Amino acid sequence: MPPRLNVSAFSRSIAFRPKPQVQWPARSALRMAPSQSRFYADDAPAQDRSHKPSSEPIEHVSEEAAKTAQIMGEKGPDVNQGTPVEDIVKGDKEAQKNLPKVMQDAIKQGNKTPAPKGSRSYSTMMTRSNEGADMGLVDFEAASKLPATPGLKFEAPTLPLPKDGHVKHRYDPVVEQVTNLLMRHGKKSVAQRQMAVTLQYLRTSPIPTINPARPLLPGAPPPSHLPLNPVLYLTLAIDSVAPLLRIKAIKGAAGGGAALQLPNPLSQRQRRRTAIQWILTAASKRRNVGSGKNSLGQRVAQEVISVIEGKSGVWEKRNAIHKLGVAARANIVLPKRR
Amino acid sequence: MPSANCLRSFSQLSLDATAHSTAASRFLQPRVACFSTSAARHANPQMKKKGMTAAPKKGVKTLNTKKSKGASNNDMGKRPAQGERKAQRKRIVLSNNNALEVSSLKDLSKANVLSEANQGLVMGLPEPVVDALRDVEAFKTTQGWSFFRRPAVLMRKEAIQLVQLFKEAEDSAAGATKRTIRRILTGERKGGKSTLLLQGLSTAFLRQWFVINLPECQDIVNAHTDYAPLEGSKPIQYTQDTYTAGLLSQTLKANKAYFEKATITQKHELPVTLPAKAKLKDLVAIGIANAEASWPVFKALWTELSQPGQPQILLAAEGLSHIMQNSEYMNADVKRIHAHDLTIVRHFVDHLSGAKQLPNGGMVLAATSKSNAPTSPALDFRIKSAEALKTKTELPQWNPYTAVDMRTMDALKDLSDPKADLDVLEVGGLSKEEARSIMEYYAESGMLRHQVNDSFVTEKWSLAGMGNIGELEKNSVRTRL
Repeated sequence: MPPRLNVSAFSRSIAFRPKPQVQWPARSALRMAPSQSRFYADDAPAQDRSHKPSSEPIEHVSEEAAKTAQIMGEKGPDVNQGTPVEDIVKGDKEAQKNLPKVMQDAIKQGNKTPAPKGSRSYSTMMTRSNEGADMGLVDFEAASKLPATPGLKFEAPTLPLPKDGHVKHRYDPVVEQVTNLLMRHGKKSVAQRQMAVTLQYLRTSPIPTINPARPLLPGAPPPSHLPLNPVLYLTLAIDSVAPLLRIKAIKGAAGGGAALQLPNPLSQRQRRRTAIQWILTAASKRRNVGSGKNSLGQRVAQEVISVIEGKSGVWEKRNAIHKLGVAARANIVLPKRR
Repeated sequence: MPSANCLRSFSQLSLDATAHSTAASRFLQPRVACFSTSAARHANPQMKKKGMTAAPKKGVKTLNTKKSKGASNNDMGKRPAQGERKAQRKRIVLSNNNALEVSSLKDLSKANVLSEANQGLVMGLPEPVVDALRDVEAFKTTQGWSFFRRPAVLMRKEAIQLVQLFKEAEDSAAGATKRTIRRILTGERKGGKSTLLLQGLSTAFLRQWFVINLPECQDIVNAHTDYAPLEGSKPIQYTQDTYTAGLLSQTLKANKAYFEKATITQKHELPVTLPAKAKLKDLVAIGIANAEASWPVFKALWTELSQPGQPQILLAAEGLSHIMQNSEYMNADVKRIHAHDLTIVRHFVDHLSGAKQLPNGGMVLAATSKSNAPTSPALDFRIKSAEALKTKTELPQWNPYTAVDMRTMDALKDLSDPKADLDVLEVGGLSKEEARSIMEYYAESGMLRHQVNDSFVTEKWSLAGMGNIGELEKNSVRTRL
């Protein structure tokens, strides 16, 4: 069996060709030979009318007008710019009939600016009896001024937008995530109340003492700053105990039906989610000492404080996961390098 | 050592068996080694089948060693003592050590409390006043005192109006006709009615008036304390001994400065004998100690206060609509007792309606509530007509299909009378300047982390329903999220 050779590649790859005889026959199977069969379109260069002036596309109205003007020795429209439809149909009654309604109205109106429609007979604004009509709208006068940028109804917002500028993302992401994980049976407002209680508790609780054996995130603010910024307090607690990875068990991959433990890195949101769930579980297992509906929020806050102080059992969970992850590191098979 | 007889019989045992080696004897006595002492005739022990034991009888407790699901969750710890949970829920916290000290905060004092220059400023309450307010239970759990380092109040427009009334009362006290100024605080929910009442109380404490405060009218009428018919009253009235004793104790604590000096000048008929040279303080202490004597002691105290030369009196009550209807107490015919038939309520309502005047002048303040208020159509009607008189609009018509409480209507008839001095003090929204002032206080305390500029103030002011102070605090300090 002859060796499989790419003939064309062979001829290309050899740079030095002393004898032309060494070359393979010119008619190789790989070379495109002109086909013996012919198609109808091939044989008619005479039928190509594309260069005939009659086959050229009709010129644009303005181009035509420009040409006419050039012939007549006048100054026609600028060809580099498009011509508005209104200019084209100007004075042409027949063409105007076919225009859309809006344009017909505009032509009828002429240069006059339309009067504002919809001035209601009744008021849509509630006013207090003892005060003026100021509804507390921010920069109300400024909004009614003509904006500088054309095409905008109101003034353009200054960029960058504020953090709480979007109605759906107006709260801190961590607070929002905790609230959603606190929520049961879709009762978000109940969860929000508990969240508010938690933050209030953190705000009024004494300054935490940090346990050096359980270091918080590097670059964490001093503990005296925490109670005045309860959102930071919460975020620091969550991010400090958040595990870096999770252990993924792949069924039967270890042989003999045993699951193969593989460490799997988590994204920031996933890490926070795990930490929040640990904290919430620990909080719900705490003893309910008081009474009333704010109890859960208080217990969550107590758990957050104990996390910061290094007393919480959540730290054990995190360490266990990390230990398992170190052990399972051996199971990672990286793809071979070639 | 075993006896020889015993040993012999032991050695004979196997020999006997071999001697009578018949089939019958073999069945009777199986062969065993002659020194074995085990019970050879016993059959092999059978394994007991499971579940053969009879089910336990009904109602008999059996030992259950299985882990049950609920057992791990059951909290077996020590329960909090009786009343501890409620105490925790009702605890009033007036300071937050984390909050920053506001350097610009000035205290109210006897000299500056009546000044109109305070308008729009946040003023701190001095410590003795805070203690006195705590004694008369003027602080509430729903208010946001626990956020700040120490209690401070905003001298809003209505507060200045109230302060001016205090000034009027003091001015008239110097003259011949001693005025009793009577006001009902009304307004929207979370609008600051209770806080304005607290401001009134603190003004009275600062100006060294005598203060009697009914901290929550609901507690008087909800039948949680004992009651007894008052002897010799017609129509029959009812005293509440425990409640009155509590009120006396609060009053004694709150008006400490007055009781230090006050002496007994009149003769009083009391069920308990007073020691000689007793002071007014001792008289009140007797009323606190013996609950049965509390009402006569209260009357005696009032008589003493009515003497010329005594200080002006502030009578205050919170949650007015509770005492403008039938109480939860029942009379002998198992009919509801009207709240005005309770002696304490009667005492307050008489002074509010103008049936009695404060002898040395003073003020009667009653705050309505919008969150804890039973419907009292008569009170609502009277308040509406007073507002109509103020705004000079058409007077409201009584809905003929609602049952009318004539006693309330009569007690508050001065509200519909433009000449009478019973009036409403409407607590409305803050102005933007006031809102800015209090928001700067929030920010300086470290409770509001935002730059307080015009647009921010306006935003929060409008979100708070055009300056409702409770909502303003909620959306700038509490931020429910």
